[in-house]
Amino acid sequence: MSDSIRDRLKATGEDVDPAAPVSHGEHPVGDPTESTHHSYHAELDEQSAKRAELAVASLFMLAVVGTVGFIATFVFWPNEFGKHLYEFYTPLLGGFMALALLGLGAGAILWAKTLMKDEETVQERHLLSSADEDKQGAAAIIKEGAADAGLGRYPILRRSFLLANGALGVLAVPFLFGLGRFQFKEAAMAKTGWHKGSRLLDELGRPVKLGDLEVGGVKSVFPDVAGGRHMADSAVLLIRMRPDVLHVRESRKDWVVDGHIAYSVICTHLGCPVKLYEQQTHHLFCPCHQSTFDAANGAKVLFGPAARSLPQLAIQVDDEGYFVAQGDFNEPVGPSYWERKPHYKDEVK
Amino acid sequence: MASFGEKAAAGTGTWVDDRLGSANFVRRSLNKVFPDHWSFMLGEVALYSFIMLLLTGTYLSLFFEGSSKEVLYDGSYTPLKGIPMTAAYASTLDISFDVRGGLVMRQMHHWAALLFMAAIVVHLARVFFTGAFRKPRELNWVMGVGLFVLGLVEGFAGYSLPDDLLSGTGLRIAYSIALSTPVVGTWAAFLVFGGEYPGGHIIERLYPIHILLVPGIILAIISVHMGLVWYQKHTQFASPGRTEHNVVGSRFFPAMMTKMAGFNMMVFGVIALLGGLAQINPIWLYGPYDPSQVSAGSQPDWYIGFLDGSTRLMPNWEVRALGHTLSPNVIVPTQLLPGVIFTLLALYPFLEAKLTGDKGYHNILDRPRDKPVRTAIGTMCITFYVVLLIAGGNDIIASIFHLSINEITYTLRTALFVLPPLVYLLTKRICLSLQHADDDLLHHGIESGTIRRLPSGEFVEETLPLPPQYAVLLETTPERKELVAHNAHRLEGSPLAVEAKPKGFFRPRGGKDGQKELES
Repeated sequence: MSDSIRDRLKATGEDVDPAAPVSHGEHPVGDPTESTHHSYHAELDEQSAKRAELAVASLFMLAVVGTVGFIATFVFWPNEFGKHLYEFYTPLLGGFMALALLGLGAGAILWAKTLMKDEETVQERHLLSSADEDKQGAAAIIKEGAADAGLGRYPILRRSFLLANGALGVLAVPFLFGLGRFQFKEAAMAKTGWHKGSRLLDELGRPVKLGDLEVGGVKSVFPDVAGGRHMADSAVLLIRMRPDVLHVRESRKDWVVDGHIAYSVICTHLGCPVKLYEQQTHHLFCPCHQSTFDAANGAKVLFGPAARSLPQLAIQVDDEGYFVAQGDFNEPVGPSYWERKPHYKDEVK
Repeated sequence: MASFGEKAAAGTGTWVDDRLGSANFVRRSLNKVFPDHWSFMLGEVALYSFIMLLLTGTYLSLFFEGSSKEVLYDGSYTPLKGIPMTAAYASTLDISFDVRGGLVMRQMHHWAALLFMAAIVVHLARVFFTGAFRKPRELNWVMGVGLFVLGLVEGFAGYSLPDDLLSGTGLRIAYSIALSTPVVGTWAAFLVFGGEYPGGHIIERLYPIHILLVPGIILAIISVHMGLVWYQKHTQFASPGRTEHNVVGSRFFPAMMTKMAGFNMMVFGVIALLGGLAQINPIWLYGPYDPSQVSAGSQPDWYIGFLDGSTRLMPNWEVRALGHTLSPNVIVPTQLLPGVIFTLLALYPFLEAKLTGDKGYHNILDRPRDKPVRTAIGTMCITFYVVLLIAGGNDIIASIFHLSINEITYTLRTALFVLPPLVYLLTKRICLSLQHADDDLLHHGIESGTIRRLPSGEFVEETLPLPPQYAVLLETTPERKELVAHNAHRLEGSPLAVEAKPKGFFRPRGGKDGQKELES
């Protein structure tokens, strides 16, 4: 190692370990470390330095302008929705803030690049792994301490100690049980807001009557219970199509009324509302993952990652001509889960 | 004579040192040498974005109410006046319309989050392709992967808090994914949400997770991540004078520190510009969450996009037997796939070391071409990821280009399995070709411009070996080193060693200054 490198290493404050492996010999052409030392920016002539100083200072002044502009906008600009010029409030705040930050940042970088020394310094790396004697020493201390603690010598102590720790871990489990209402888990999963005789209410809470829907029309309907409008599992789409295009299987013959059919809108894939209905093809489309269901054929899956048909709600018309549910769904609505049965019979609950 | 300022500084320094013995640490730290390269700044972008997230997030938390309690909106955004909604959504509207400067802070927070994740991904790619994860830096790689995963969780939690129509839809999907877990699915979903969806607790639970728990863990890991970079010293690219046993670069103080602080402000500035000028997540247009509503073209933030894509591409496989239902159509793309991806990613340094038998320390970075298999694995994985990301926007693509969504999905399904191996082969081929080009350069050298006529009448151009400052970049094998050493003497007295100005990659370090140094 040449003296100049050693000097520079000293200047870096790093300990220079003569025993540390330094392999400058890897480079066959002379001593390449010599050639990497150069400092150029510091040698700017006075005029250039002055110019650089002015450029940096102007950027810093721009930053000041940004801050002043920000404060002025914050205080004086119309900031209430609907007021004239309101739409420029946020862009101006962001713009001035950006000016303050970018001015300061660009100024600092220019400062470092023009007026500070751009030297290349060499520093040795220390060997990361410890010396053998340290390794052995550490191992010996651990071994000695462990022997002193005596976990190996006193088996009853060891087992009871492990048991006590394990027990402490179990102590956390009841807290987990406190996090959810698990008691009626499966009953809750299987039940929705629909019940026998519940009218089909539209989004404004009005009951839907036979004849309200034209052929090709659809309507979101909700159960006639408190909070039914916002129940996460009870939204249903009532669809009317020509009775001759509607194919209903034998066991569900009584679940439809004159071309009106009602499906749960909760996707059987991941629970998004399946409400995009295409009149011509009778397709129901889920906007989340593009599962497509055939509303004219029991909402069976035509495309996409959903595996099951949308559950169908059995409906009928009451004495006054209003649609009512014959009961709750015959199967849990929405996505699949482990406890879900493989098959559900077509009987109204 | 020392000025007043100098005396005051010296006095303070002595006061602190008498109590903490800090002078030794300060001396070593300020003199710490860092190698310079533009690609080393990518990780910095992630760091500065995170700091911006902490700053803007603290401001937002002063106004946000993490509660699903129902309120009637009474703020200044007139279209939603009198509408029942959760306090979370109402307070987000207040931040957007009634808190001065609230909207710019909210948008900066969201943009900073997107930038944070983007910077992590690009930084990860840099570390991967240059082999910076090799011994002794495997632990830092694992921590980086951990930060990536935590960033996903943190981002999703934050995205869900405003309780608008879009975020509610995302939460419902998250609930359904938890539900699909074999055996314990309903338990897990009920545990997180407090009961059957919506459960009534999720906003209240996500809020402390988003503003305290996860950012706390991220902050702790970032500190160790950077501490290790400091302690183990940064890697460097090959260049004359750089060896496995030294660091060549500039000292931390003052130029490096000033440049980093300046860059920090630049990143902040870009986030402020985006937050001010580029609208993001206008929740007032989506409306409050309603479980029976959804808007077409629902899209998550970009970093969740690959999981959305995998979910869209998955065939509808479901097993219903023995009294139970199992949903590979949900489990495979949303649980298994990310699990496998991130596990393999975290283990990569160990797998590579095992398969190559390389147990040595590495402080000099690889050029991607010199490690064709690794580089090919990297581009293969990126291809897989990008196909998933595109699939996450298949509905948008279908509507913009008037294509059939079904055909796009079938095409992407095929591409997911066909493209990555093709890209692997292609990348490997390209790397090997580039290596051959390097070999040619080492063997035949650079054209000297001197034409010689042989006795036979034939004209040949004389070539000279590569000057050392370029040759060092190519000395990746013992054979090449030998070749360079063998040819070195031919350079003596050659004008080439001084004047050669190869283009592109072979630009000498230090640009114009390298030139100056050689002349002197």
